[in-house]
Amino acid sequence: MKNRILSYEARDGFKVDALLTTPPASGGDLRRIPVIINIHGVLGNFLARGTPKIFPPLMLARGYSTFSINTRMAFLGQIMGTGVFPKAAWDVERSVEILLGEGFKNIYILGYSMGANIAVDYMVSSPRSPVKGLILEGCSYSLPESQKKRLDRWGGIPRYDDIFSKARSVLGNDPESSNNDQIFVVYRAWGDSLNPSDVEMFTYKTWWFMRGPEAARAKTCDIISGVSAPVLFIHGAKDDIVFAEEPERLREILNRSGNGAVDVSFIPEAAHDCMENPDFAADVIDRWIRGVEESGG
Amino acid sequence: MSFPPDQTAKTADIPPQELITIPTPGGGVNALLYKAESVGAEKEPMVIHVHGFLGNFLEGSQRFLPPLLAREGCSSIAINTRLSNFSLFFGYGIVDDTLPQIDGVINYLTDLGYKKIFLSGYSLGGCIAVRYMSERAGTKEADAIGGVMVIATPYSMPDSIRRRWDRWQSSPSYEQVYEEAKEILGDNPAHSEEDRTIIIQRARGDTFRPEHCEIYTYKTWWFLAGPEADASKTYKQIGKIKAPIILIQGWEDKVVLPNETHDLSQRATDAGNADVSAFFLNAGHTLEGKEEELGEVVINWMRRRLK
Repeated sequence: MKNRILSYEARDGFKVDALLTTPPASGGDLRRIPVIINIHGVLGNFLARGTPKIFPPLMLARGYSTFSINTRMAFLGQIMGTGVFPKAAWDVERSVEILLGEGFKNIYILGYSMGANIAVDYMVSSPRSPVKGLILEGCSYSLPESQKKRLDRWGGIPRYDDIFSKARSVLGNDPESSNNDQIFVVYRAWGDSLNPSDVEMFTYKTWWFMRGPEAARAKTCDIISGVSAPVLFIHGAKDDIVFAEEPERLREILNRSGNGAVDVSFIPEAAHDCMENPDFAADVIDRWIRGVEESGG
Repeated sequence: MSFPPDQTAKTADIPPQELITIPTPGGGVNALLYKAESVGAEKEPMVIHVHGFLGNFLEGSQRFLPPLLAREGCSSIAINTRLSNFSLFFGYGIVDDTLPQIDGVINYLTDLGYKKIFLSGYSLGGCIAVRYMSERAGTKEADAIGGVMVIATPYSMPDSIRRRWDRWQSSPSYEQVYEEAKEILGDNPAHSEEDRTIIIQRARGDTFRPEHCEIYTYKTWWFLAGPEADASKTYKQIGKIKAPIILIQGWEDKVVLPNETHDLSQRATDAGNADVSAFFLNAGHTLEGKEEELGEVVINWMRRRLK
């Protein structure tokens, strides 16, 4: 096994850190082995517990390379203002280019939670991408809709509509180029207490492009019809953050758009993080990739 | 594409890097191990690097120093403590909770056979390193440390934060946060079950923009920045260190002022430590542009202590 930490710049100069894990092979053999780009979830990074951290060794044991990337949404990006959701696709774009430059030929993406929404956005915004398939783990139907429902459920402070009003007043008519921005806290965002474990933090700009009602590229349901590559949804059977019907509804959209290469697999004994049942989840992914490879990709 | 020299995939002299998780009494510590060539029968020197405010091992001196040291035959382990990343925002970033983590890292290294271990901290990491050596004085773990590198570290984190907030007229003010913290946390802040996340506007500059904000919970603020946060008052800790110390500071640092390093050195010397050095580089707080020079200073200082 070999681990390498790489750093490179996306098209706007944002520095992406990534961890490349490869099996003990070399040259052409190594480059032909499928490599899976691993995208973290909210506030995550490639060492965050759960899928980001344990996915590489699980897939390594099955003979795969992985490329775990820290996008601009990693760590503090969403909180400090650098994590503007649609630009995360540029980080994936550059990561794919890096792998191609290293000679890898069979590239897949696994997106975990919000990383799944980033993966879809990347594929839609890069129609000529060489990526051969998407694995979407715990993929929300729509990030804005998901947060609105959650804040309504827990009585979030401030309310979703109040955040929207304030964001409009702070960011003005052109949120993307606005130089005005502020951090804010949403209390009772993940539960019914005011304690830190239940809060969420954004800047108005990061919220606008990830969770706001006009965050078009975070509404996966509205864009996923543009994905023509094979898709595997994996979803924890006990997931209480993204509900079981969400990947099913996304599959229907894909099927209606003409993409028939869509599978949904529910992972028993797992909640939002499918790697709570690690071997089961990894075996599902292994079989699916083998199927895509055997069908000619 | 621009890989930094140490990470270029096609560069032959990349020091081997290994990502590891070290189980410790304070929870698992994620770390990046940079392995230099061993210099003989004994293991090569090893430096433990502790990150700064909201930092991690992918940033700053924890990122650029290890490859420079590896080139000179010194291995490094850059660790993410409980104070890394955004732990201050969510209530679990408490300075003294890092001490059992550092214990665990030192034990891990001694178990591997390392005998020449140094502890280095950048900015807040310097406060942590000094607190560790002070609080753990006389333990086998602290005795295993051959020297301490204190880089761009404030004389007192609470005083430094208070001065900055006063300067920019933060909202809320330092005193307001102190009063609210007492009310929320009650008589026993360490065990209080009540806590809240708070945003301090205009903490680092005169706007409400994100880069001028700071975020804590009342509990993390209490133990890092509050008037009773003795653990991060480095001047109160440094006098208990008997091991060699080098303090390194940028002349142009606007976050930690050069006289803070001078005053810390004086405190350590006055307390009877005969091996205290201070070194100033023509750089700001991040020491950007002086990475190689910092590496040379550190290597030369260590070599003299290893003779």
